[in-house]
Amino acid sequence: MWFSNIYLKTLRDYRIAILGWGLGLGLLLYVLLSSFTKLVGATPAAKAALVSLAGSYDWIAEPIQVATPGGYATWKYGFTILVLAIWPLLVGARTLRGEEERGSMDALLSLPQGRTRVALEKLAAMWTALLAMGLLIGLLGFAGSASANAGIGLGDTLLYGLNLALIAGVFGGIALLISQFTQTPGAAAGATGGLLVLAIIVDMLHRVFNGTEWLSRLSPVYYYNLSKPLIPSYGVNPGGMLVVVAFSLVTSGAAIWLFARRDVGAAIALPAWLRLPARAMTPERVLPVNDWSLRSIYARSLSSALVPTFWWTVVIAGFSGWLVEIVSQTEKNLSALYTSSPTLSHLLSKVGGGDVTTNATLLSFIFVILALLLMAFAVTQVSGWAADEENGRLELPLTTPQSRLTVVLARYGALATATVVIGVLTLAVTALASAATGLKLDGGNLAAATLGMIPLGLLVAALGYLFAGWLRAAVETGLLSFLLVIWFFITFIGPELNWPDATLRLSALYYYGTPLVNGLSVGDTLIVLAVAVVALGLAAFRFTRKDIAH
Amino acid sequence: MPMRKGARRCFPTPEGGGLHVAIMMSAIIEVEHLTKRYGSARGITDVSFQVEEGAALGFLGPNGAGKTTTIRLLMALLRADAGTARIAGMDAWEQSVAIKRIIGYLPGELSLDPGLTGGQILEYFGHLRGGVDQAYLKQLIARLEVDPTKKFRQYSSGNKRKIGIIQAFMCRPRVLFLDEPTNGLDPLNQQEFARMVKEANGEGRTVFLSSHILTEVEQMCTRVAIIREGQLVRVGGIAELKDIKRYEVVITFAAAAPTDAFKQIPSVEQVTALADGHTLRLEMTGELDAVVKAAAQYSVVSLTTQEPSLEDIFLRYYEGDGLAASTGAGSAAKEASHVVQ
Repeated sequence: MWFSNIYLKTLRDYRIAILGWGLGLGLLLYVLLSSFTKLVGATPAAKAALVSLAGSYDWIAEPIQVATPGGYATWKYGFTILVLAIWPLLVGARTLRGEEERGSMDALLSLPQGRTRVALEKLAAMWTALLAMGLLIGLLGFAGSASANAGIGLGDTLLYGLNLALIAGVFGGIALLISQFTQTPGAAAGATGGLLVLAIIVDMLHRVFNGTEWLSRLSPVYYYNLSKPLIPSYGVNPGGMLVVVAFSLVTSGAAIWLFARRDVGAAIALPAWLRLPARAMTPERVLPVNDWSLRSIYARSLSSALVPTFWWTVVIAGFSGWLVEIVSQTEKNLSALYTSSPTLSHLLSKVGGGDVTTNATLLSFIFVILALLLMAFAVTQVSGWAADEENGRLELPLTTPQSRLTVVLARYGALATATVVIGVLTLAVTALASAATGLKLDGGNLAAATLGMIPLGLLVAALGYLFAGWLRAAVETGLLSFLLVIWFFITFIGPELNWPDATLRLSALYYYGTPLVNGLSVGDTLIVLAVAVVALGLAAFRFTRKDIAH
Repeated sequence: MPMRKGARRCFPTPEGGGLHVAIMMSAIIEVEHLTKRYGSARGITDVSFQVEEGAALGFLGPNGAGKTTTIRLLMALLRADAGTARIAGMDAWEQSVAIKRIIGYLPGELSLDPGLTGGQILEYFGHLRGGVDQAYLKQLIARLEVDPTKKFRQYSSGNKRKIGIIQAFMCRPRVLFLDEPTNGLDPLNQQEFARMVKEANGEGRTVFLSSHILTEVEQMCTRVAIIREGQLVRVGGIAELKDIKRYEVVITFAAAAPTDAFKQIPSVEQVTALADGHTLRLEMTGELDAVVKAAAQYSVVSLTTQEPSLEDIFLRYYEGDGLAASTGAGSAAKEASHVVQ
């Protein structure tokens, strides 16, 4: 049955993603809704403090009825729930262009089916998967609401899932359209990722600066935010949802129209003014004898990681600097919330590691997220290792006089270098932001907090290399991502649920500790590094003995 | 390093930098009872052969016969379940790095970084191999007429293959492993490639060429090994294989064709009278002498023979009526698999 047409075959390919994303985000919503009362809504004073705090953080999302479970969830997850858009973004970039790059599109188009039909079936599979994810999120959200008597109906949570699926789908359509102009799915995904961030920021503008709503209306995220189904009294904005659908129809329609008319394997030519100027072909470029990036496997790997490292540095270091600025502006509101919500204070002090009335404690709490981001960077990079083997790209390097150990360590070394660079630049940016805003942070602890993230990145990378010894790239990436989510849950939910210390120790983030407040725990850092070294050693041992995939 | 029995030739080992340490031996590739299984799927079983230094061996077999598995075992990309493989006296797995200093390899399926230009790829592999003679590299690029400024993804399949060929040849390796090398090359470039192989072989380099195209093996190789369902069924010189040929002789007589005169000749397997009544087609397996003498008794208008191609020989093995096949890859095949160069 699943192989009877392109739609079903494609949908079958998405079955794990549906479960992973749907259950993952659904569980997040479940936990938030079910623990709202205990966490922040216990007392009128806490609710009042939350309302005040949310006003200061309206750049996340418009704070509406944040003292209710639905309002709190809507505000709390704000733009971060748009992480779901990453999946359709990748699918949109790959679904046509990826097949063209692999050469399988030629075979597909040799079947007695038109191009438009092929593209439509693939797009329909993506939308079906997205709606299924939305359904799971909605159902789990309803379960969370019911468990805490939050008063949010099934229809409301399902509409929340639908709205989320619709906005995520927009970025699938954009990626599909951009992929008509790029030679590789990676380029389309990268550009769409940039547009996703831009769309979020443009939507954010009108909540931060007066008189900019006209600009925010250009962003599809603005129309997504017009609906807040988890707030029953607010409900959905059908017009907004229709605009979101229209974004998808226009971008996907344009993409399919272009695909039906262009050469397979070729990109639509951009207008001359959008093209990069062609570089004159010099003898040096014909045979780039002195190109540093071609001198070794390490240099080549480092060169390949340059662009993603740059962008991840912008995100991580930029986020860190911005948070310093935000925290320094909201000091009073935070203090009020801490004192009125013992549960939140407890959580912050456990994860943040100090007196909840200090800025450093909140920043320390947030720095755990930065560490998580650095680990996510490692996941994205390490997936290339398994993919290279799967695609046969390790075959020729391994027939040069380079030992397998050299190859695996050189690749890991390049990733380690990129991780260190991100950590160091985050330190520099955070220190500058701290100095500029007058926020007092201990210099040593700041260095510990930023540089202390590095071992976590190295650990994830080492685990990725270890898993790649047995698993295919997609499975390895999925497993690592799952591990990050689990660690995130243990660290952020575990203390609240009073999980035992032994359980909390299962999360790598536990060993990161609270360096911004308490400095770096040398022992814990050494534990992380030791595990990373063991994992890398096992990975290298496995790689030096295994059959190379063909 | 111990002197090997039957040593005939001196050559420098790679570890010795080509200067000081030398061993004497005749076979540069030695494979003994090599076995590789992929779970329940077939790999290769008990494959043994040797290739003399300076030889050009064609490794023939259909898809899935085990050609690539054998080469990937020699390249230490796979680890053998049993048996040994040695190149230049060094264990293919344990001393793979040293071995790779003297080999060039063209994989059957070429997968390289699509974002790099051909020139960047060649320089990269040049560095990984410890440096490359730039003048020779440019010569190869010019010879195969490939544009090194294009990105790999922009190349046609033939041009991708050319990049692979250049990287295999560019360090003037002592042993060339070429897995289905002409896939995607047009006939002109196939001819140029054949000349490159012959030149390399003429310079004393050993060539190990896997293919399912028999004519290219005939053209480029002096010896042939045939692999079937993971087992080596025959190793020999091109001429030796032709010894077991089945070929065709067509004789046209001035008068009615004397069919009976040829039926009793032992080397004639089958006699067919063509419709014109004057022409006979004989299927032969042995010497022609008796046939010529028999034909001389009559007035002959023309006599033509058709040499078998390796294709014919190859098909015989796979049709089950060849020497090896007739024994079920058994004793004769076993014997053949131990033929030493």
